[in-house]
Amino acid sequence: MTFSETYALLRRKSRKQYFLLTGCCFFSVLLITAYVCMMRSPTILTVLPEGGDSRKQVMMVFALTVIGCGVFTAYASGLFFRQKSRETGIFLALGASRAQLRRELGKELTLIAFGSCAAGAALGAPLAWGLWQIFRLCIVDTDQMPLSFDPKSYFLALIFSLYVIIMLFLMGARFIRRTNIIDIVQESHKSEPIHAVPRWYGTGGILLLVLGAVAGYMMPTFFVLGLHWYAPEWVDAIFYLPALIGMYWILLHTVVNGWGKHKKYKNLISNSMMKFQGRQTVRNMLVMTLLIAGAYFASFYTPMLGTSSIHQYDSRKTDYVYHWCETQDIPEKAEVQTLAQKYGVEITSWAQQPVAVLGTDGTYSVESETGFGVTYTTEYQELMFENNFISESAYTALTGEQVDVKSGTITGVFHPENGSGGMFSGNAKIITNMVTGQRMQVEPTEEKLMYDMLFGYYVMDDTDYAAITAGLTPEWQENIVFFNVRDCENSYPFAKALFNEIIDRSDETVEVVDSYDRVGKILTTQKGESYWLDKENLAGHGLEMIDYDKRDASDFRIYWKYMPRFRVLDKNDFVRTLAVFLTLFIFISVVCFAAVVIIAFTRSMTIAAVNAKVYDDLRHLGASNVYLYESVRGQMKRIFLVPAIVGTTLIYLFYLMILYFNGDPIGITSSEMAGLASCMAVIAVLSLGFYLVYRLTRRSVCHVLGIRKPQKK
Amino acid sequence: MMLEVSNLRKSYQVGKTKYEVLKGVSLEVGQGEFVAVMGPSGSGKTTLLNCISCYIPADEGIISLGGEPIAALDEQALAKVRNQKLGFVFQDFLLLDGLTVRENILLPRIIAGQQNTNMEQAADHLCDVFGISHIKNKYPAEISGGEKQRTAVARALINNPLVILADEPTGNLDSKSSRAVIGSFMQAQRELGATIFMVTHDSFSASFCDRVIILRDGTIYRTLVNHSGQSAFQDELLDVIREMGKE
Repeated sequence: MTFSETYALLRRKSRKQYFLLTGCCFFSVLLITAYVCMMRSPTILTVLPEGGDSRKQVMMVFALTVIGCGVFTAYASGLFFRQKSRETGIFLALGASRAQLRRELGKELTLIAFGSCAAGAALGAPLAWGLWQIFRLCIVDTDQMPLSFDPKSYFLALIFSLYVIIMLFLMGARFIRRTNIIDIVQESHKSEPIHAVPRWYGTGGILLLVLGAVAGYMMPTFFVLGLHWYAPEWVDAIFYLPALIGMYWILLHTVVNGWGKHKKYKNLISNSMMKFQGRQTVRNMLVMTLLIAGAYFASFYTPMLGTSSIHQYDSRKTDYVYHWCETQDIPEKAEVQTLAQKYGVEITSWAQQPVAVLGTDGTYSVESETGFGVTYTTEYQELMFENNFISESAYTALTGEQVDVKSGTITGVFHPENGSGGMFSGNAKIITNMVTGQRMQVEPTEEKLMYDMLFGYYVMDDTDYAAITAGLTPEWQENIVFFNVRDCENSYPFAKALFNEIIDRSDETVEVVDSYDRVGKILTTQKGESYWLDKENLAGHGLEMIDYDKRDASDFRIYWKYMPRFRVLDKNDFVRTLAVFLTLFIFISVVCFAAVVIIAFTRSMTIAAVNAKVYDDLRHLGASNVYLYESVRGQMKRIFLVPAIVGTTLIYLFYLMILYFNGDPIGITSSEMAGLASCMAVIAVLSLGFYLVYRLTRRSVCHVLGIRKPQKK
Repeated sequence: MMLEVSNLRKSYQVGKTKYEVLKGVSLEVGQGEFVAVMGPSGSGKTTLLNCISCYIPADEGIISLGGEPIAALDEQALAKVRNQKLGFVFQDFLLLDGLTVRENILLPRIIAGQQNTNMEQAADHLCDVFGISHIKNKYPAEISGGEKQRTAVARALINNPLVILADEPTGNLDSKSSRAVIGSFMQAQRELGATIFMVTHDSFSASFCDRVIILRDGTIYRTLVNHSGQSAFQDELLDVIREMGKE
């Protein structure tokens, strides 16, 4: 028998260690590849606007997943080398040279690293595709849903694979380089005690966590609004650091001291076992906490958006609203009634009013690169944007609400729940007729009107309206219609037909995104520049063109300037409209939870592997089966439940904080409350799933340790 | 001389405190001699053995094996010395669980790359000598502590080393197994001409040796030579230990 054969024989005998390491590397690369393939898929990128919040959220959770999988693979490798140290130490003690061992270990690591990474990378895309297909089959399927992959996305997966490979070889080299044979032999028995942890780490950790979450969320806003500075993203991220430290302290305190004061001796064994695998345990728990937080963040997207959107649709005071530019030949009352009759729908009320598109004053930002973020100053211009104006009588006719706007003043219409929505200031002071050039000085009123379907409009005194709109050509005139029907819930075919009719009769001059601003276009053209929201420039800014042929696509439904708002259409098509978004976030949460489950399972099985002898000794000391079972349960509860509780609480409170401060005025709206309630339901369901995984894992650990579950008396 | 140690010094740094464990130890072990080192905990006996094995580097001093200094050898040469010139027996046996008794005994030969038919005969011969032939195809988990240690002794002898270094070889054994292991050493000394250098805290095991070096606080306190047979020598050892305790 040669040395290589002996090495191979030993490998066969301890194949569980090899499977564990290979499995961990494989799953890490698999999950990251699947995530990258999905994240960089043209299907997804088409839907997620560049620089938008959704894309940032996807990136943020991706970063968490990479950190999680990275730390976890390093942990698995460390565990592998620890378990291998006794055998290596014996070889060295008996005169094997390091070169001999390096050769054999090198062969093994090559096989493990390249094999697991290649398999993980190869199966990542099929996994992503498979999951996506399941979602399409079980949840929703639309024309936008067919998934395509960008081969370039494999570059990112390759980088992660390279990390795994390099990390394995570096750790292997360091392992072989160690000189003290006695230390190597004893390595597998060595614990990693954590130094004494003061009890105030618990409360200190909670305080730091809160401080970090608040500072991390608030400071970027302060920089932008207070200092007129868009700080580099890493500067913003630094303020979250206290939260990370706080989380670490909480976990340390939980592992080393525990939260109960009077159970020191009762939990002595499980506490000391946890404590003596301290560093690794806490690191793993931290990664799990972050991943659980990321997973929930992604999981909340669908229920939050779904519930709050449905709630908003239900809160609309009008069933059908649409508007159009006067240049278009769009169906009006008689035609709509005929169509309604065709579909057996009865129109119960109808209001149609003219809308004027006028120029308003405003400010714009002048940004300058500083080498350390971007600073900006604001410049005022008397003619800056276009805005929609209606007369006070039109407002009353549309909404049924009496309003009296004094001459020389204007009143902005805000959203009853979202206020300004961060987009509408409502404080124009100079308005301009873009055809005649006539200007009017106005004073915005203190009082605001609240009406969701007219959000962003200005209401004027009737006489002022007539004076400023005189001479407007059809390009600057619009119409808006509010109508209600009997039994709206059952009028979907009619809604769809009217929607199609409106689009079919709209020409390409209005095939534009909602932020398309005719005043902005004129000002840009006057400067001899091309307007960034013109069709030909959209792709350059990472935006999708509005295309009448893709009228069911989410981009069209969300961003078309003249998109009708039909309650029944919006409600019924909600899932289809946002199918890609919803499915993507479900996918992300599945990936994150999968990573959490794998980490928790591996860590728990380590308890069985590392502490098998301790449990044997305890048995010899007369410990009962119940005692041993409780000791295992105590450790596993902490591994599973502490990250779950900390991660879930953290992300829920963070979400709550975002919603609270995002509002205008700050606070939580009723639709957000409804969304939060559904998020709570998601937490309940996922926690139940996680609890089942915990029970199954506990059973496996007990099985390995030969501990029976005590029967209830 | 098979083994010569001259003015060996070793200290450990723990935080800001430096602990001097060996304070200039010198000793010699002749060919075919069975020598034990005894001493209370912390006297430096395991450190002495680890320095001689070159598992840890000494701060000062010379260690010669068969007249050749070994402390300054490079990594590769040291590995060769450990494999060819030294045999090791450890307190917790250090057998590889995935190999049978016979394969464990063959391990030093396998590491040396000396695979031939002789090696299996040599292993079988050692199994016969130490009475473990009936378990040679079993795994360490299936045999007793005494059998494990006899396997370790056989493994230490497979390459015909100049010296066998044994670290508390009976430390984990009951008295019957201890007697069997010491018997194995004596048998190796008698039948194979082995030179044995053993660290122990057990006066019973040490009483079978030709000579016992007693360490105290990193220096040699006394060297006792066995002239009077095992039982009387054990009494003599116990007297010295008692005397040391009184001081």
